Amino acid sequence: MNIHEYQAKRIFKSFGITVPNGLIAYTPSEALEAAKAVSGAGPWVVKAQIQAGSRDVGKFSDKRAGRKGGIRISKTLDKVYENADEMLENQLITNQTGAKGRLVSRVYVEEFIKTEHKFYLGLVVDRVAASTILLVAPVTEKDDAIVKLATEYPDKILKIDLGLQKEINKEQLLLVKDFMHSLVTIRELKAFLNKMLKVFYTYDATMLEINPIGINKAGKIWALDAKIVFDNNALYRHPEIKKLSDTSEIEERELIAAQYGFQYKEMDNGIGIIVNGDGLALSTMQQAAQMGIGTACFLNLKGGVDRDKITASIKLIMTNPRVDGIFINILGGFLRCNLIADGIIAVANDLGLNIPLVVRFEGTNKDEATDILKKSGLFLSIVSDTHEGLVLLKDAIAEDL
Amino acid sequence: MAVLVDKKTKILVQGITGTQASFHIPRAMAYGTNIVAGVVPHKVDKTYLGVPVFETVEEAKNKTGAEASLIFVPAKYAKSAILEAIHAQLRVVVVITSGIPVSDMMEIKHELQNSSTILIGPNTPGVITPMEAYMGIFPDNIHKSGRIGIVSRSSTLTYEVVLEINKVGFGESTIVGLGDDVILGTSFVEAIKQFNSDSKTDTIILIGGIGGNYEIEAAEYYRLLKNKKPIIALIPDDTPLLSDNDGLASEIICRGIITAADKKRILSDAGMIVVDNINDLKSELLNL
Repeated sequence: MNIHEYQAKRIFKSFGITVPNGLIAYTPSEALEAAKAVSGAGPWVVKAQIQAGSRDVGKFSDKRAGRKGGIRISKTLDKVYENADEMLENQLITNQTGAKGRLVSRVYVEEFIKTEHKFYLGLVVDRVAASTILLVAPVTEKDDAIVKLATEYPDKILKIDLGLQKEINKEQLLLVKDFMHSLVTIRELKAFLNKMLKVFYTYDATMLEINPIGINKAGKIWALDAKIVFDNNALYRHPEIKKLSDTSEIEERELIAAQYGFQYKEMDNGIGIIVNGDGLALSTMQQAAQMGIGTACFLNLKGGVDRDKITASIKLIMTNPRVDGIFINILGGFLRCNLIADGIIAVANDLGLNIPLVVRFEGTNKDEATDILKKSGLFLSIVSDTHEGLVLLKDAIAEDL
Repeated sequence: MAVLVDKKTKILVQGITGTQASFHIPRAMAYGTNIVAGVVPHKVDKTYLGVPVFETVEEAKNKTGAEASLIFVPAKYAKSAILEAIHAQLRVVVVITSGIPVSDMMEIKHELQNSSTILIGPNTPGVITPMEAYMGIFPDNIHKSGRIGIVSRSSTLTYEVVLEINKVGFGESTIVGLGDDVILGTSFVEAIKQFNSDSKTDTIILIGGIGGNYEIEAAEYYRLLKNKKPIIALIPDDTPLLSDNDGLASEIICRGIITAADKKRILSDAGMIVVDNINDLKSELLNL
């Protein structure tokens, strides 16, 4: 789960990490008041709050915002108002948001902090090593530079494997200090890094990024940005974090599926695919693409075992107006085919079946599931493999139109 | 012999009285799997599904000689169940449970470093040696006995591969599902090692997953392996799902490599035959 920058900064602050004064604003007038409250004199920074990175180099879909990105230094109060006005209720498109971008419903207004050096600091989980890794990298003015650096000049990033360490040790600390060549003192650096680790472990984060930290002339470290990604599987331990979830940026169908523990994703135009695994989703879409069939959306039921949730999710695909045919491709192991068959019948009885539907069952309770569908009298085709299913569906859609 | 599990392997089931275990265990027994015990803390029943139930793994192991555990315990309690199995020094532990917190798995991986237990999963279909036994939740009607070893990060894609290669006359020695979670107990390397020295396996099929660098680790191992059996690696195009992956940026920053295209290049450089779809996989298999 992601949270907004301002929420992450509140958490940082409660752990003693120094962050600039800032307030959240939902309207340009609120932004103006916020600016007056956080700092007597400018400049200020107005920051679009969306849960995606590269905001600085992003573009707004509505042209009234000009060509500037979602993070703007504003020298006067008039500029604060103007920038907030341009960003709010506008879609911010960055390389992490997809083509539609994300709606900016609030901006964060901060005092501008003058710093001498900037660095990217990150804590991430390395899957293969099952370790926490500390990442330190130099920062240029663009906030998507880190990914570029990682792919083009990976040697310019300092990576320290912390294992399960909850605090940084002396040797590691010296490595970071040497890498930074900056004014920062060992003592300040140690305190800062240990606070980061404390936030990371306290809340079961899988990623914590500060892009960037700023170090001022006095050697003090400021968290000028904050990003925390929490482990969804551990949210039950942190109800106070779960409450911070802002789902306004997520598509409604995606949200419903996620509530049931399933994955739903909209793509282009074409068929709707219902599967029970990532690998099968990719392989089915790939085969479809090779036959010239587009995919409008897919639903991954994973190992679902709850009949009602399965039924409600099948409905998401059947009611998507961009879907011109449905392929249900199930290879049941944990998931039982008969539950899907029950779901199909429930949805068809409820909504009717007015687009071509092809079903392929294999694995657990296949025969029972096939029987259920055959006895239902529904107008659908049952096939024995993915290729056959796609061929049949392609023909059926062509006849349907 | 096959790898990890066969019809003689004595298996205990942690969480045997749960709904999912109650459904899948009788099927596994009917298939021939040698389930010898159940473990339920604060047990009520003395026996369940015809096997004795114990309160601890240690006791079950001592009384029945169980050497492997199949875990169906809910995610919240999975860490202690897995650690209990590791501490009891079982040879193989298969974790079906999904949704275990990442930090719990990090601690478990740490424990594994000082242990000889092979942990398969979590969030895995398990391990199956066709026509003999399976530890997991496999469909019981699609596998055939044969000489292909399969190790995979995707359960559904594995079933699809099995169905397709069996159509053209092949069968499987053993199938190892590594699981589909962020942190895996066992990665490709252990399975490749086992298959490479298994007299019943001629060819290995490796099925990749989205994100993570487990495939890269496998490539590094395979490159240096002596007397290696051929590996055909199936790496499907991952672009439709990559953008969804929350950890993507951190993986790029951490390792610099991530996409299916990167993996294909590296696995191929290491000497594997790399394909991105099942039809090509079948033709490569027939060409060997």
